[in-house]
Amino acid sequence: MPQETITLEVFRYRPEEDKQSTFQNYDVPYHEHWVVLDAINWIKDNVDGTLSYRWSCRMGVCGSCGMMINGEPKLTCAVFLKDYFPKVIRVEPLVNFPVERDLVIDMDGFMEKLKSVKPWIIRDDTDQMDQEYLQTPSQLAAYKDFSMCINCMLCYSACPVLDGDPEFIGPAALALAHRYNLDSRDKGNEQRQDIMGAEEGVWGCAFVGECTEVCPKNVNPAGAIQQAKIASTKAWYRSVLLPWGKR
Amino acid sequence: MRNPLVRPYPKDWFLRTRAYRLFMLRELTSVCIAGYLVYLIWWLYKFNQVGAEGYEELLSFVRHPVSIGMHTIALIAAVWHSITWFNLTPSVMPMRIGEDKVPDVVISIATGFGPWLVLTGFILWATLG
Amino acid sequence: MSHLTKSNEAFWWSLFSAGGVMAALFVPVIIFVTGFVLPFMMGDDLESQYDRMQGLITMWPTRVALFGVIFLSFFHCAHRIRHILMDFGVRWAGVALLILCYGGAVAGTVVAGVVLARF
Repeated sequence: MPQETITLEVFRYRPEEDKQSTFQNYDVPYHEHWVVLDAINWIKDNVDGTLSYRWSCRMGVCGSCGMMINGEPKLTCAVFLKDYFPKVIRVEPLVNFPVERDLVIDMDGFMEKLKSVKPWIIRDDTDQMDQEYLQTPSQLAAYKDFSMCINCMLCYSACPVLDGDPEFIGPAALALAHRYNLDSRDKGNEQRQDIMGAEEGVWGCAFVGECTEVCPKNVNPAGAIQQAKIASTKAWYRSVLLPWGKR
Repeated sequence: MRNPLVRPYPKDWFLRTRAYRLFMLRELTSVCIAGYLVYLIWWLYKFNQVGAEGYEELLSFVRHPVSIGMHTIALIAAVWHSITWFNLTPSVMPMRIGEDKVPDVVISIATGFGPWLVLTGFILWATLG
Repeated sequence: MSHLTKSNEAFWWSLFSAGGVMAALFVPVIIFVTGFVLPFMMGDDLESQYDRMQGLITMWPTRVALFGVIFLSFFHCAHRIRHILMDFGVRWAGVALLILCYGGAVAGTVVAGVVLARF
């Protein structure tokens, strides 16, 4: 029996010569156990070495192989060809990001947003950094789900708000900020409030909820943002009603 | 050479996937509810004004097929709002007991569907007597 | 980030949330009562029916509750409608949109208050 094949319709963009993107079709051997990333690797190794894309771990941990598969943001290491066969699979770079080349997106904006929320433990007693900060299991449980993010940026592609408002900090970064705000060891709520409570912060979110649906790590960024809205609302009322006091 | 390509995002994004359409449907319930509230204020005004003598005329207005249709649409929208609202509550206000998460369905029922049922029953009971 | 815009959205959002709860709990049954129970399920004795309903609405807890439901639900709707319009691309309207939507909610609330006060 001849080898069955499946067609991948792949987004191409070469920054040196192209003004616009194009699609290029590749026929790839169909194996039931192959994921889309396997097919793309096969193209790179056997047909077209010029195809550019990011990948690393092949096991849903590194978060680098996110792409749009038939219009949905997915980790390509976690979607099987058999779920689409025999139909054509359209592979595009994650939407809501500029395209650097082919399937590679420009994540500079995301990295800047991530940094802006100070996603690290903030303490005022830095002179005692050599000591441990103890935490009970229930204090850990309070934020653990929100700490599972692998920065794959699928949620940014699922979020329609980011189109109208590219300055929106976005799901992953806000969820991470909320994760540190919930951490019993952290003292940074106030420092993060200016950005969380800004138009570009939690208030950009319309609670479409798709970030939570596409998250491969069940982080529930949409929930984190709504919870952060409650916290921001309390902070806003405190700052208005008690302007002379501490926020 | 860096020359990043910015792709235009479709202006009709809210029609493009099932999830986005459902989101828009949820948001649009507010238009029906707002419309009904305006009607409710008018109805309260009329009800108070017409007195027992004019009540039959007011009722015949409400019995008109157009009115039945509008009320049906408003009711479906309002119920849809209630269902989506109560379903989202656990995400907005999660609860835990120690290390354990309270299951979403428990939160939805305790803070939403339960009180909804009780209040609806109470108001119908008070109306029907 | 390069710049941050200070936001008073927290105020509108708190009204939106409270209104969302009120609308979810009360509006379906109110629609059912005015649209279906009163015109179709109450029998023929209109006069005693009217007096009973009149008495029920006139009770101050009913009027306060109705006012609360209408007031908060209006702000809930105003907030959502504002965001729908922004989704539809009228972000440019900015403050005008704010005044239109929440102004409408204020107007509706005032009229509701006057109507209920006159019972």
